[in-house]
Amino acid sequence: MDELTREFLIESQEGLDRMERCLTDLEQRPQDAGLIGDIFRSVHTIKGTTGFLGFKRLEKLAHAGENLLGQLREGKLTADRPIVTGLLQLLDGLRSILKTIEAEGSEGEGQDAALIACLEELQAPAHAHTRQPVPARAPAAQAPAPPRASQPPPAPSPAPEPPQQASAPPPKAAAEPDSDPARPRAAAGSAAESSLRVDVTLLNRMMNLVGELVLTRNQVLQATAADPNLTMLSRRLDMVTADLRESVMKARMQPVSNVFSKMPRIVRDLSQALGRRVRLEVEGQDTELDKSLLEAIKDPLTHAVRNSLDHGIEPPDLRQAAGKDPEGTLKLRAVQEGSHVIVEVSDDGAGIAVEKVRQKAIERGLITPERSAQLADRELLQLIFLPGFSTAAAVTNVSGRGVGMDVVRTNVEKIGGKVEIDSRAGKGTTLRLRIPLTLAIIPALIVRSVNQSFALPQGALSELVHIPPEQAAASIEWIENAPLYRLRGKLLPLVFLDRMLMPGTEHKLSTERDNFIAVLDADGRRFGLVVDGLADPEEIVVKPLSAVLKTIGIYSGATVLGNADLALILDPGAIALKAGVAMIADEDPARAADNENEIETAKSLDYLLVEAAGRQAAVPLADVLRIEQLPISRIEYIGYRPVLNFEGQLLPVEDSGGVLAAAQENPAAQIIVVVCREGNRHVGIAVSHVLDVAAGSDLFEAGTRQQAGGVTLLKQRVTGVVDLGAIPQLPVAENQSSPWDRTPETVA
Amino acid sequence: MTHSATPFVRKEKAAATLVEMCSVRLGQTLFGVPITHILEIVGSARPQPVPLAPAYVGGLVHYRGDVLTTVSLRQLLGLPPKDGPQDILVLESSGGCFGLLVDSVGEVLTVSSADHEPNPSILDERRRALFAGAYKLKDSLLVMLDPERLDPMRLSEAQAA
Repeated sequence: MDELTREFLIESQEGLDRMERCLTDLEQRPQDAGLIGDIFRSVHTIKGTTGFLGFKRLEKLAHAGENLLGQLREGKLTADRPIVTGLLQLLDGLRSILKTIEAEGSEGEGQDAALIACLEELQAPAHAHTRQPVPARAPAAQAPAPPRASQPPPAPSPAPEPPQQASAPPPKAAAEPDSDPARPRAAAGSAAESSLRVDVTLLNRMMNLVGELVLTRNQVLQATAADPNLTMLSRRLDMVTADLRESVMKARMQPVSNVFSKMPRIVRDLSQALGRRVRLEVEGQDTELDKSLLEAIKDPLTHAVRNSLDHGIEPPDLRQAAGKDPEGTLKLRAVQEGSHVIVEVSDDGAGIAVEKVRQKAIERGLITPERSAQLADRELLQLIFLPGFSTAAAVTNVSGRGVGMDVVRTNVEKIGGKVEIDSRAGKGTTLRLRIPLTLAIIPALIVRSVNQSFALPQGALSELVHIPPEQAAASIEWIENAPLYRLRGKLLPLVFLDRMLMPGTEHKLSTERDNFIAVLDADGRRFGLVVDGLADPEEIVVKPLSAVLKTIGIYSGATVLGNADLALILDPGAIALKAGVAMIADEDPARAADNENEIETAKSLDYLLVEAAGRQAAVPLADVLRIEQLPISRIEYIGYRPVLNFEGQLLPVEDSGGVLAAAQENPAAQIIVVVCREGNRHVGIAVSHVLDVAAGSDLFEAGTRQQAGGVTLLKQRVTGVVDLGAIPQLPVAENQSSPWDRTPETVA
Repeated sequence: MTHSATPFVRKEKAAATLVEMCSVRLGQTLFGVPITHILEIVGSARPQPVPLAPAYVGGLVHYRGDVLTTVSLRQLLGLPPKDGPQDILVLESSGGCFGLLVDSVGEVLTVSSADHEPNPSILDERRRALFAGAYKLKDSLLVMLDPERLDPMRLSEAQAA
């Protein structure tokens, strides 16, 4: 249900409560003009608001009531008993429709004709003589009740909806019910009683104070650790603080339906304008996101939907020719995955032709032909996120002005999210936005430089390289004064954090202590940030900086660490910009002419090289989410299948190497589980060691030139690739399917 | 530079008004900040330096769940930095809150607006821009600081100009 409707419900219910009080008073004092005025205003307000919310049935009924009240107000009628009875029935009727709207998002199909007729009859000056209200009352009283029962097979409507109405609101109506479970209404009564409007600044203030409380708690816990008398108390403080923090964060959350509910209208209007036939499916509307993030994804999402309709879904005749359902499907879905929310926009349209993307990118000078030959299809697809890229053959007024996907990416990355695109020619396109649950708290790696701590947002971090002191001198190469590091055979530009922060510092690696390179990927700029040391990753609460410090540019905020130290939050994108690191795509065109064997490894993919019980195997690096070291006791079993309870979710653990079995004898043994993404699920692979990350290349059978499946050439050794898809699904509970499997609400 | 009356110096008024000033010692000079502009005094703090920040920024401190930018009065006056913890006056200006780093905070003095004199003309320009005149105490002078003029945003504008 959208914000406007909810507000309307709360206001109307307040109005009707007032009306009820006035009506009972009116019976005692039928001449009181003030009371009549009050009642008139309540009904009038409802009528006015329903008009633009499109609740025709409610409007009609309120209108009939307003006419009667108008007569009363002008003194043409006196509020005798039948009239008050009629007005009370009107009140019940309005309430019942409001209830239906609240429960189902639509007015339902009810019989208001009798009640309206009764109200009209009451306006006739002679009503008291011609007819007693009693007979009119029976049908009227029943009237509001049936709407719910009669919903699926629409009863012959007494108020036939205008034709345009029939096509417009149903999408909304159909999309709404999903959002309902998000609110615990059933138990709590009406929205008016159980909800409260709160200023966002107050919530922000609360969030700040809770952050402060968390720090104080940490200090109290440290101070009381030695005192057994205080242990219980401090533990309780610990728990309450954690709960409080969670509640305050929850208060800022809103269901994504707030944004999704705007889409049916856009889809309807656009598909008509473009001559497409599109069915909108919406899933996971009750997934919640921080309010500010929800605002931030509204535009990117709208843009993605427009793109799908304009470039994705083909006109009906083309679809039919291609053997597809002439009606295209656009799917919006949201699901929470750990500390992120995934929002997907997918269509079953024409997909993106990789070859076209390649040509366009070359044409626009975004990439050289030689360089493009080195990219895998998936990488080529990501080129559409570059500024100035648009594949639409002609510029339409819907999209295709060349300010498309790069804006989507910029907006999403601004809030710490990521965008990916998957597309198969002829089959469709999926745009996936990965959004952090909340802006206020982000995971960050704490790094040390110039004797201070700095926070580096995890979102931009792709890997860490450790350079021991003895290798420090040899591992960095120079082109004049540009430091470079050879990362898996490719040169990575380096930025020395200490030199950037304190200009004039000599930039070379210390040979006395360890050095670390944080490989960052920010706004398409890839570089290594050299820092002096690493501390633990932490979930940090982002505090805004004063205007003066914001203008420095490389800090995006500050935070208070667990040890009560302050740390500045580094902005990887701004650092790259300041250091002059270029976007990947237009990276040195000279490289293209490099040499031929570079092209041979064109389709190389990075793999994680692991060892399980003496055998080496490769896992595609792109699918690896995390590497977890944990005691064997964490592995549990469903029947004979090992599973891992990981961040509250159950992972099937693959153990074809027999690592678990070997470690079973020693309950204290540590094992390593590589957590991977496979389609929509996560799986774990038990290994004994993680050896390296290396680029593998495809192998071809001699003579046939056919690509060998399941193996790759890794470090000059033929290595088997773990087939993630072959890991069997966990048994699914029969009556409790996952949100993904639920039948989506279909929207015409 | 400006000699215009600040909101709390009403020299023209015939009847002298009394102003309460928090006294602050820095080097040899006694400064005063009107207590109406002080939110809180934080004792012995160690601000976290901010690399690349303008020199007058004394660093960041954690203040009531927020991160507060501080201005170093020593740096503004061109005095050598002081080692060890310093006191912070949390001040409110039209641009928001900020901290003023001083050596130590003294007692609250009540001064009369009748004893106020504008900045002397022989004062160098930098100081004239920061000070808002002085109050004549019995045996010394209390140099008045105007929080509005110490606001970091204002200082950065002044520096840019």
